[in-house]
Amino acid sequence: MAQAAQPPSDQPPVVTCRDVTRQYIRGSKSKFANQPRPTVTALDSVSVDICPGEFVGIAGPSGSGKSTLLHLLAGLDTPTDGDVTLAGTSTIGLSEQRRARLRLEHVGIVFQHFYLLPSISARANVALPLVEYGIGRSTRREKATALLDQVGLEDRTTHKPGELSGGEQQRVAIARALVTDPEVLIADEPTGELDTETGEQIINALSASSSDRAVVVASHDERVLERTDRVIRLHDGRLVSDG
Amino acid sequence: MLLLSKFRAVVGIAVQQLRHDRGRTVLAVLGICLAVLSMTLLGSVGLGVIETGEEKFDQSGRDLWITGGPVQLAPGSVGGFENTVYDAHQISAEIGQRDDVTTAVPLAFQTVYVSPNGSEFDTLIGTGAPARGGSVRITQGESFSSQDQHYAGGSYDGPMSHEVVISPQTAERYDVGVNDTLYLGGSIGSAQNNEFRIVGISPTFSQFLGTPTVVLHLSELQTITGQTANDRATMITVDVDDDADLSQVEAEIQAAYPEYDVRTNREQLQATLERQAVLLAAGGSLVVFAALAGITLTTNLLLSLVYQQRRILAALRAQGAAASTLVGVVGTQAILLSFVGGILGAAVTVPAIRVLNIVAETIVGFENVVSVQPWILLSGIVCAFLIGIGGAFVAGWRVSRVSPLEQLQ
Repeated sequence: MAQAAQPPSDQPPVVTCRDVTRQYIRGSKSKFANQPRPTVTALDSVSVDICPGEFVGIAGPSGSGKSTLLHLLAGLDTPTDGDVTLAGTSTIGLSEQRRARLRLEHVGIVFQHFYLLPSISARANVALPLVEYGIGRSTRREKATALLDQVGLEDRTTHKPGELSGGEQQRVAIARALVTDPEVLIADEPTGELDTETGEQIINALSASSSDRAVVVASHDERVLERTDRVIRLHDGRLVSDG
Repeated sequence: MLLLSKFRAVVGIAVQQLRHDRGRTVLAVLGICLAVLSMTLLGSVGLGVIETGEEKFDQSGRDLWITGGPVQLAPGSVGGFENTVYDAHQISAEIGQRDDVTTAVPLAFQTVYVSPNGSEFDTLIGTGAPARGGSVRITQGESFSSQDQHYAGGSYDGPMSHEVVISPQTAERYDVGVNDTLYLGGSIGSAQNNEFRIVGISPTFSQFLGTPTVVLHLSELQTITGQTANDRATMITVDVDDDADLSQVEAEIQAAYPEYDVRTNREQLQATLERQAVLLAAGGSLVVFAALAGITLTTNLLLSLVYQQRRILAALRAQGAAASTLVGVVGTQAILLSFVGGILGAAVTVPAIRVLNIVAETIVGFENVVSVQPWILLSGIVCAFLIGIGGAFVAGWRVSRVSPLEQLQ
């Protein structure tokens, strides 16, 4: 079992993975009931702790288990073995509905492809997660405007995603991930679709947001990883290094 | 308060989605509108036909109808119709002698050749009837000058009046009027030898039949169409005393003439409609198909939207959005589309019915055959709403199955 790296802060971890293994069954169910289906081990006995204020990078080649680890840290998936604790709550055995609520309250997620609703404005996209809290329109707008201001898009609040550049769309996505004030922000290849300069702006925005929360970024880009406080390196689903 | 705020947000997003995809929204609304229009128009036509039928039967001033089954086409025979009441004059006379019966009148319909000049002939429906009494409206001229004398107790050797009452459409078609002459017969040869004087113009029978007519004494129609052997008629209409028990009279006449069908106005209309069962079933099927087409269209539109935005929906679910919120956004779109389509369909129904009535009046002569009823319009809107519910249910189910992990791999 790989040892969990020592947290750099004295605060308790916001996400804890203990001896986590994730296996997937490959292919569809065979018509021959007795024939076992092959399994793929995407993550093998990995243990990590993520503490508040940390800017953590996850590195590794394709198929190394980066996305699988991110999904487990975000509560999108549950491990085959081991335990993942998110904001003090184990995700094992939780229904999708409960995990969705856990994510809403504690996790913000940024995707490589932005995934913004094209029909509504940047501000409305940012405010979308607040709908779940039943927060009134004016409050939602206030919070969303403040966050767009924070990521440098104060003059783009009423623009629709189609009217924004890739970098601007990703900053809207970051603002959306931050609008619920999550304890951990998870980003999967956030600069994958952006040019170097724009990618730099995104990393700056993510880095700035790590002052009061944990930020975990999975990336192939060494320039991104250089900016992080700590890099978790994976290979073939195993933890190679953490530090 | 929290729920209200969430509801308002969901509706707002749904409206934005519809506004964003305007082309698709307009097409969906038009589709639902057409589905509703199909339902309301078919319903209005069906209702109008029944109402018009009831009205016409009531206007006829008759209480009972005696028939020998439906009027059959008989190709190759003179007149083209197979009338199924035999010994019509005798049966009418027997029934007319009852104390509780005011009048019993035989009626026959036959195709006849008609010409204003004896050289160029058309075919029209000839009606053998008295063409007199309170139920027959003469707009120009007069009715027949005498009773039917040609029958002469069944010998058909009494004098023929050679009088004819024609419908306004017939007068217009041949540009003839009162005291002009028409040549009439069951064959062209017969018509060339039978000259009839127009004594009056009446819309009564043409409105009842929905086609231009010429009205003759029954026995004279039978003679010129070769129907004297069995004294055939299409039906016998019976007018019952106001004080009499209609159902009892009906039962007694039915018992006396078991080979014939005796019906009240409503029963006769019902029997007429039952004979059009295939047509009615086809109309009903069209209504069902219109509703199914609306559901399919709305569902298809929403499913394609869900498919197109599946990754965005998955990302929102990954962010913690509840499935109910996303289902609400998609479902609200379905409801809004169906509501607008339903209202539009109901609104278009009114002018469409006016157009249909103009067409119907031009073709068959009946006025206001298609009637607008508020409950039919309301039913159209309700159907549109059900279409929306159906679409929302299927699309909502699909949204609820969007898996963040599968879509965001």
